[in-house]
Amino acid sequence: MASIPGAATISLPVVFTTQTAYPLPSQKFMIPGTWKRYQLSQLVNKALALPKIVPFDFLVKGEILRTSLGEWGAEHGVGEEETLDIEYIESVMPPEKVSDFPHEDWVSSVSCQLQGQFLTASYDGHIRTFDYSKATTSSTQAHSAPITSICLVPSTALDANTYTIASASHDLTAQLTQVTLGAAAGSSSAKATRIATLHLHTAPLASIASNSTGSNLLTASWDGLIGHWDTSVPSSDEVPENASNERDRKKRRKVDEAGRKKVPRKAPVGVLKSHVGRVSKAVFANGEGRIAYSCGFDSTVRVWDTENGVCTHTITASEKPFLDLALPQEPHTLLAASTDRTMTLYDVRVSTTSASAPVSFLHPALPSCLATSSNTQQVVSGAYDGVVRVWDLRSAKGALATFRAWEGGEKVLSVDWERGLVGVGGEGGFAVWKVGEGAR
Amino acid sequence: MAVKEVTKNGKKRKQSSEDEVPVPPPAIMNGELEMLSDEEDGEDALSDDGGVDGFPEIDTRSDSGDDEFEGLDEEEDSEEEEDEQGDSSDADSLHVFPKAKTIISHITGQPKRVYPEIEPDYDSDSSTEDDPNRVGNVPMHWYDDLPHVGYDIDGKKVLRPARGDELDKFLSTVEDPSAWTSAFDKNTQTDKPLTTEELDIIRRLYAGEVPDAEYDPYEPTIEWFTGKGKEEVMPLSSAPEPKRRWVPSKWEKQKVMKIVRAIRQGRIIGSKPKTTSKFSFYSIWSEMSSSHPPPLPAPKPSLPTNSESYNPPEEYLPSEEERKEWEAQDPEDRERDYLPQKHSALRLVPAYDRFIKERFSRQLDLYLAPRIQRVKLNLDPSTLIPKLPSPSSLKPFPNYKSLKFTHTKGRARCVSVSPDGAWVVSGDESGKVSLWEVNVGREVKSWNFDSKIGALDWCPRLDVSYFVVAVEEKVHFVIPPNVPGPVLALTQSLLAPATLPPAPPTPSPVKWVTPPTSSWSIDTPILTANLPASSGLPTQVTWHRRGDYLATVSTGGTQGGVWIHQVTRRHSQAPFKKVKGAVQLVLFHPLKPHFFVATQQYVRIYNLSEQKLLKTLIPGIKWISSMDVHPSGDHLIVGGYDRKLCWFDLELSDKPYKIMRYHTRAIRSLHFHPSYPLFASSSDDGAIQIFHSRVYNDLMTDPLIVPLKILRGHEIRDGLGVLQVKWCNRQPWLVSGGADGTIASTFARSMGLLDVLAAT
Repeated sequence: MASIPGAATISLPVVFTTQTAYPLPSQKFMIPGTWKRYQLSQLVNKALALPKIVPFDFLVKGEILRTSLGEWGAEHGVGEEETLDIEYIESVMPPEKVSDFPHEDWVSSVSCQLQGQFLTASYDGHIRTFDYSKATTSSTQAHSAPITSICLVPSTALDANTYTIASASHDLTAQLTQVTLGAAAGSSSAKATRIATLHLHTAPLASIASNSTGSNLLTASWDGLIGHWDTSVPSSDEVPENASNERDRKKRRKVDEAGRKKVPRKAPVGVLKSHVGRVSKAVFANGEGRIAYSCGFDSTVRVWDTENGVCTHTITASEKPFLDLALPQEPHTLLAASTDRTMTLYDVRVSTTSASAPVSFLHPALPSCLATSSNTQQVVSGAYDGVVRVWDLRSAKGALATFRAWEGGEKVLSVDWERGLVGVGGEGGFAVWKVGEGAR
Repeated sequence: MAVKEVTKNGKKRKQSSEDEVPVPPPAIMNGELEMLSDEEDGEDALSDDGGVDGFPEIDTRSDSGDDEFEGLDEEEDSEEEEDEQGDSSDADSLHVFPKAKTIISHITGQPKRVYPEIEPDYDSDSSTEDDPNRVGNVPMHWYDDLPHVGYDIDGKKVLRPARGDELDKFLSTVEDPSAWTSAFDKNTQTDKPLTTEELDIIRRLYAGEVPDAEYDPYEPTIEWFTGKGKEEVMPLSSAPEPKRRWVPSKWEKQKVMKIVRAIRQGRIIGSKPKTTSKFSFYSIWSEMSSSHPPPLPAPKPSLPTNSESYNPPEEYLPSEEERKEWEAQDPEDRERDYLPQKHSALRLVPAYDRFIKERFSRQLDLYLAPRIQRVKLNLDPSTLIPKLPSPSSLKPFPNYKSLKFTHTKGRARCVSVSPDGAWVVSGDESGKVSLWEVNVGREVKSWNFDSKIGALDWCPRLDVSYFVVAVEEKVHFVIPPNVPGPVLALTQSLLAPATLPPAPPTPSPVKWVTPPTSSWSIDTPILTANLPASSGLPTQVTWHRRGDYLATVSTGGTQGGVWIHQVTRRHSQAPFKKVKGAVQLVLFHPLKPHFFVATQQYVRIYNLSEQKLLKTLIPGIKWISSMDVHPSGDHLIVGGYDRKLCWFDLELSDKPYKIMRYHTRAIRSLHFHPSYPLFASSSDDGAIQIFHSRVYNDLMTDPLIVPLKILRGHEIRDGLGVLQVKWCNRQPWLVSGGADGTIASTFARSMGLLDVLAAT
């Protein structure tokens, strides 16, 4: 502070804005240059006379304030005459680790959508469910090959303890599994039945996603195809059994080993074919399930009309093989993580030739997975250096919070964020961290 | 004895050459020689010799009675004889010349002198004649290379007398005691004994004395012109000074006038005058020479300031201390060379006492101060660096380490990426082969073999999916798991068909074995080619682009190690009966039926269809370690254990187009990216270097090679660094296998595009 002459004496004109539930009157405040986040937060709290102290973070011109205001002004060449627009947001508490669920194998996909339960899919082909008391409520081997992705298919018809889980695997199929949990927590009466296998792809599947009503599914595969499925279980095989004797016997043997009955083979409703490389993720847009987004290793993000099965819009980036896709709350935007270690915010309405460059969030390691919060402008990303970062979409300069999921820096392969809990799956198993506003 | 020799020599000569005149040997005395030659001449030319043959005519002359003439003649002869023989023969001559008797001729009645009959004997007169050939006093060297030595008085050629050969010479030196004191006489063409005087001259010359025996070097001085009574009193000449000494020469003037006239008439044209214009004065200061930069202007004397005024303000005047201090200082150290002084009026200013000194020092400054412009070499070092495009404009290329896959048991020797770029197989020295995803790094399947893995490579065909693993004396064909049905069926029918292809006409020592279908599982190889025993570990497996042929190179075994295997026919053949040098690597040309074979120092290119050697490349590397061919097939990179990396343009020359030595340790592996203009080299220094290598279709444009990035991330263990690098198809991603350590080996997959961070 002493390095900046006059920083102790200057005061800056500031206007506060916010989107939180704690608005200040829009008037100009003269704030001393020495003030930091803490003083500003105290100011807001005192000005509003909040009964309970709410910590705030302050965004100045799209950047989170980490230093004093005077230093920030000196750094960015903002004089004391200029009025600063400062937006404040509720600050993210330092994340806390809630619990750890060790796995024998790598966890490839996690889901926290289910109230009271966590879903994990592992490379050993098992789908496991855990409750909040760290007890394994069910464990079923859904695939003989590694599972790459799972999602919960929301349904209303079933009873409270029965869920439908869709999983995608390296064995070129996706699968619908019905899991019925025991009524009592921790009981071993969980029952899992495979209700259908989805046959389309000729390469390992990368992701599976359901729409909000649970009526349709999207699978993305390495062969460049996106399968569009409904979730109704057919009575008979829609896809004929493969006639190859070798393979058949092998498959039968595997089926016998698993000790399961034959399940119907399901065919897709439609195939979305436009990607020229591996498709890494395909999701339905929020809201009604007509629009879908997908990203792939051919450096494109595509917007699909699933009813007609056509690609309506393509965002072409240069040499950015995309690994994951997430949809923030704001409509028509999407976030995509790519192997050039960036997470980029795209507006799907804007053509690729528009002048404004999309906002990029730089990572020090390869970001492998993204998850958005349901009601804020925040997003978490997991990276191969084992660090999960919490970002605010308005501030591209630095993460709001970072935490290392496991001690050893194992790779993070999947994150999910729901109700203030971030589930982190990866090389070190599955961990749950408490992040965000729900943590309070 | 001498006569005998004559006849002997004559016979000899006749044998050698018929037309040559037989000449007496050099040892024969003059008289004999004359006789013999006369006889012989008579034989040769009877009619001509009549004039020469004097002795019968003596009789006729004596018959004719021309006595006085005869006598005179005889006298002259005797005188000549005397002259020639010298004083030593005086006594003999008395006996030689017979006394004439005066008798009364019974014909005329007059008294006449009668000489006794001359017997043509040893003591006949003719024996004194010593100029036998009579060619006259001509230099004999004129005839040195001719068969004759001159002409006699009748114009006949006098032929060169025969000289004895070396044997004769030798015999003569042995038999004749005086032979060593004789010398060859060119006039007579014979060896002539040297006289006592001549021998004396030779001895004197040999002793370094004056050769003339008469010469006395110590003669007493005879004073002819000097000495007592012979002083010159008068000058040598009292002639007056001639006029020509001071009068210009008339003849020279005439000569000059002749030239002048010739010049005026234009007969003599003088050379062009060097300077046409007459000499002109110029100021050496005003004119600048053209080649040099203009001289710097002399520094201007500074203008006078206030303190130099004759009446400066009070504040400029020095105080007493300042004045003392100024005076105490050396003149060189003074800040100013004057002290301000105050005068109330200009007319009171005294004369400037230091004027002369100041002018002088100014002149010294102008004259001695070196006013040259120092030409500093203001070169920007960056201009010397060849103009290369910036690496950021050549994106994408790998620039950070994304994943690490660890082999826990041994160093990872070999690595291969599937043709669709999604899977990687890696083999280590403990015999474990791992299959893992390129993007996640999770091992999906592993196979264990009983010996260390030498090489592995994925079949480049896209419609089938399998890879080959080379272990000790075996090549295994392995199918990865989770292959779609049609592809699996095709792969199985390719590798383990229901009906085996017909056996090749010539049996091969390589046996192809398929395990029975019942025992085959995903964990075991579906097909195995057993290389001949003691062929060692195959260190390289390389596929032809079509995926039907593969070549293996075994080293370390007792037998030579290049085999080309054909999968569809299940047949293996050794393309070379005998290769000079140990084969290090082989490669198939991507487009043509060419085959690259790298021995220790050379790379040979064979045409497989024509079965002949096309080219031998000389990289100048001591030991080749790695090689890769550009996807276009026109360029080849070769790396060596001596750190060199050579780029060959195969169209151009058998010498490298470019030699790079950027690694600090031995180069281990090279690989061209199949689609991007990139190649990578890995080395024992633990670094991977990425190069941009753009090859133009235009033959005139040289390939552009730009070093892009050095990736570090592997540790060096046991002196081994990064053992193999491979590119992923379709993406600018690199997979590298390293030997770090006794227990672990890492695979770094470096990938990426834009970014800030380095790859450590």
